[in-house]
Amino acid sequence: MNPLVDPQLGERVINLMAAMVLVLQIGMVTQRWLMANVRIFAAQSFLLAAIAATIAYFNNAPHIYVAAALTLVLKGIVLPVLLTRLVAKVGIRQEIEPLVNVPVSILISAGLTLLGYLVAESFYHPAGLGIASTLGHNTLAVAISLFLIGFFMMMNRRKAITQVLALLSLENGLFLAAIALTYGMPLVVELGVFFDLLVGTMALGILVYRIRETFDSMDVSKLRKLRG
Amino acid sequence: MIAVVLASLMQLLLVLAISPLISGAIKTLKARLQMRRGPDVFQPYRNLFKLLRKGMVIPNTASWIFTAAPFVVFSTAALVGLLIPLISADAPLSLFGGVLAIIYLLGLGRFFLALGGLDAGTPFGGLGSSREMTISSLAEPAMMLAIFTVALTAGSTNLTEVAHSAIGQSWRFFAPSQMLACAALFIVLIAETGRIPVDNPATHLELTMIHEAMILEYSGPYLALIEWGAAVKQLILMTLLVNTFFPFGLSTQWEPASVALGLGSYLTKMLLLSIVIVVVETTNAKMRLFRVPELLAVAFVLAALALISTFLF
Repeated sequence: MNPLVDPQLGERVINLMAAMVLVLQIGMVTQRWLMANVRIFAAQSFLLAAIAATIAYFNNAPHIYVAAALTLVLKGIVLPVLLTRLVAKVGIRQEIEPLVNVPVSILISAGLTLLGYLVAESFYHPAGLGIASTLGHNTLAVAISLFLIGFFMMMNRRKAITQVLALLSLENGLFLAAIALTYGMPLVVELGVFFDLLVGTMALGILVYRIRETFDSMDVSKLRKLRG
Repeated sequence: MIAVVLASLMQLLLVLAISPLISGAIKTLKARLQMRRGPDVFQPYRNLFKLLRKGMVIPNTASWIFTAAPFVVFSTAALVGLLIPLISADAPLSLFGGVLAIIYLLGLGRFFLALGGLDAGTPFGGLGSSREMTISSLAEPAMMLAIFTVALTAGSTNLTEVAHSAIGQSWRFFAPSQMLACAALFIVLIAETGRIPVDNPATHLELTMIHEAMILEYSGPYLALIEWGAAVKQLILMTLLVNTFFPFGLSTQWEPASVALGLGSYLTKMLLLSIVIVVVETTNAKMRLFRVPELLAVAFVLAALALISTFLF
């Protein structure tokens, strides 16, 4: 049998890449440098595009290629470049100061991953629908972990721009879940999500810039001073 | 019986002979990557011979522990060298013990090295010992979890059986748990061999040194034994990484062709891993000592996730 069409190989490759995405997410939690964070996000998006392309290839679902290409271009290239420019423009300090210290954050992320696996377990019915259910199993767990850790990172970080990054990685988790479970949403929905993300990041970029202008800081906790 | 003795002798010779070469290769490659000429690959051998011929200075305050430490370090490392599959899937002394024996023999060597550092009576020795123990106490759980992941998949903690079961499953590496465990073990390797994000192997004139601080008072043949033991330990950890996760080419029977293939693929794998280590060492800056626990926490979490995901799948 030609290994290049063997669905089992595809499943393994996808599982492997999903695990790497998870490793990158945990790496993002540990990384203190803002630019390194942006690069990890870019690498994560590249992997996500690769996962999408692999799913498209092994399941003969050409419309997923479009989603893969969009992920590659938008999340892998455009958004990181945009964020890099934003960082250069506002000239903030590179070091991220999380609220919870790093070792504890890592342990919390591990706990969240475990939670993700447990939640995904309840969706798993081996006798169910053939390969789709087994494929969804591991990647769904990774996806749930991704967005739980993404949420945690958003809470854990003070500066607006790092929260934007956390939001983007959270969205990566959603994308992974969608593509693993349903082999991709309708293209219209995908396009909508991507456009939303792009505009959202731009708007947040402007917001970040304004916060910086007004408060001389990017610490969002200072926004509370607006209250009377 | 004779076969076991012969195999042990051959593997012992191989381990002792190759280990300085690997250190030398890493040094040379690192120098080349940094646009320096650097020492040639055989420099560690010359250093060892030079040290073995020299006289020794032993501190007045030192007790028998100072003398015993180099021998314990060297012999535990050499013994562990016989417990791991190197070019053949069958480790010569595999009946003696499995993974736990390996971890704790290395632990015994480290314990005596730390004692030796303390025994010399200099502040630097104590400093190095305390750092070494701190780091190893954090690295050890990660290493154990990572290796248990492999052992669980293979159904045995005996590395010979692990290697045999791994040869059968060519796609095993694609399992996420294996990849996570491999990443964790790589971080442990970096920490245990004193490579750059954790310790700088190229200097012994830094306040942040760890390994070098412990052995600062050693000289002559004792220093040679310790350095050689450290090289063997590095070889063992690297072998553990390449042979349990990428068991390609491990020979399963004693035939010239299969042994030659085993040796060739083993050296290739070690060279590739050395290149990875060199790239990591060159592209990273040394971490502050208080940041090292973060790195090891990552290793621990990766290994724990690996173990969990083997249970869940």
